[in-house]
Amino acid sequence: MVARQHVVDLAVDLCGIPLSTPLMPASGTLSREALGEVEGVYGAMLPKTTTPAARAGNPPPRVAETPAGMVNSIGLQNPGVDGFLQDLDAFDLRVPLFVSVAGDTVTEFAALCERLADDDRISGVELNLSCPNVECGGLMFCAGPASVDEVVAACCTALPNKPILAKLTNEGVVENARAAEAAGADGLTIINTIPALTIDATAKKVLVRGGLSGPAIKPVALRAVYDVSGVVSVPVVGSGGVVSGTDVAEFMLAGATAVQVGTSSFVRDPHEILDEFAAYLKENGLGAAQLTGVVRRTGTVATVPRP
Amino acid sequence: MKFHKVDVEERRELGSYTLIRYRWRGPVEPGQFVMARAAGYPVTLDPFLARPFSYYDYDEGIASLLFEVRGRGTANLDLAHTIEVTAPLGVGFRIEPGAGRAALLGGGIGVVPLKILGRHLDAMNLPYDAFLGFADEDTSVVAGEFPDARVATMDGSAGTHGTVLDCISDLDDYGAVYACGPNPMLAAVKLAAGEGSFCQLSVEERMGCGNGSCNGCVVPTHNGGYVRSCVEGPVFPAEVLAW
Repeated sequence: MVARQHVVDLAVDLCGIPLSTPLMPASGTLSREALGEVEGVYGAMLPKTTTPAARAGNPPPRVAETPAGMVNSIGLQNPGVDGFLQDLDAFDLRVPLFVSVAGDTVTEFAALCERLADDDRISGVELNLSCPNVECGGLMFCAGPASVDEVVAACCTALPNKPILAKLTNEGVVENARAAEAAGADGLTIINTIPALTIDATAKKVLVRGGLSGPAIKPVALRAVYDVSGVVSVPVVGSGGVVSGTDVAEFMLAGATAVQVGTSSFVRDPHEILDEFAAYLKENGLGAAQLTGVVRRTGTVATVPRP
Repeated sequence: MKFHKVDVEERRELGSYTLIRYRWRGPVEPGQFVMARAAGYPVTLDPFLARPFSYYDYDEGIASLLFEVRGRGTANLDLAHTIEVTAPLGVGFRIEPGAGRAALLGGGIGVVPLKILGRHLDAMNLPYDAFLGFADEDTSVVAGEFPDARVATMDGSAGTHGTVLDCISDLDDYGAVYACGPNPMLAAVKLAAGEGSFCQLSVEERMGCGNGSCNGCVVPTHNGGYVRSCVEGPVFPAEVLAW
């Protein structure tokens, strides 16, 4: 890969951590094997979610294409936190490293955060709150503000020395974002995949019941970022259907401080996305950090609903 | 994932399958695959994902893909003059030179990697027989590209009436078995080859990324877990797989 020199200022600050570019991979979309392809693109690294014990994941089929997107149901396949930490050096791309964690219970979430507190390789943690809380009948941790408050507060107590990002789903995102901020979250990742279903009409059965990602969800994610960033003061990391440099700019204009690239890295070279974003900045005579929330200041702000 | 834009140098129909050729600076190992789609981002955002194809052949800088149009992705590819392809991906067939005569078994579009595998076996002066199974006569046209191959069709309209295993007298006569086809066929081949045989299976699974990132294309292993067909496969030793 030819190293590209960007004359524009791509740097941003996320929760006090300087990032060389506002891009980072969305959790679960960048394998160790593919790391060589993304050198120089991401301002932070974010490997696939880790859980206390190894998880085999769901039986196939796990992915199905949908219009401008895909539905996945992987089931958090991962080697467990011990194996994860053993392999973590492979993810050292000399940029800050965020670790995505998930547990079955609040206690498991907190224990994972505590486990990561003294690991100097790790700059911050992202809480994957779209996994089921087995103590609440399998409802997602981010199903409502009370549940968000409980898990975020427990994690912040367990990990006081590193920034914690709470990753939320679209449903109820504004209330949940407020709850996460109040509970001590240092930032919010908005949004996770959207619950979705695909059917195999020929076989007359469910193909994949899981989460929708890809450009199909971009307008939904943009609205969530816009609405949330209007009511919280912690930084928002935008995620959902980012495919191009213009998409990155749109998420930042809507209020994101950094932007995750997920499913689109399957179909595009992320270098192209960064190059397009740099070209946008150059054309507009702006640095990346100046973009955040600009649409709010241009006099065409749409109403943000307040409860 | 990095995609390279290449021109389709030749397009040919082989019965219900389409053959396309493009220039690629090698190497390509038999059993490896490529993610491919019609060129034209951002139009390529829908359909969104590229499609995985085992290489049909690779010779003197020309890569060949053979596929069946099943949906929008393959329909677009079928019509495209310019396509976008990744570099060769995955782990292909491990050729065991000392194993003796090899049996190559293909089911339907699963015959694809047997062409390039046969080329490599020929180059190594290793003897083999090819056995190809199809649904019917129309899908079996590609068998003409495999001289001396024995053919079976499920409806009996060409060759032996039955599955690919029905046109083999005894799989025990072979020291190596290489197979590609629908997973139920591969399970049957594994069973027929028996424990302790040298049997390599190229699996079919729905794929998202092609580079190990999405964990979407897994197949179950005998120890209860899953492995990714795109990175650890798509070719596996039969004993690794659960079915």
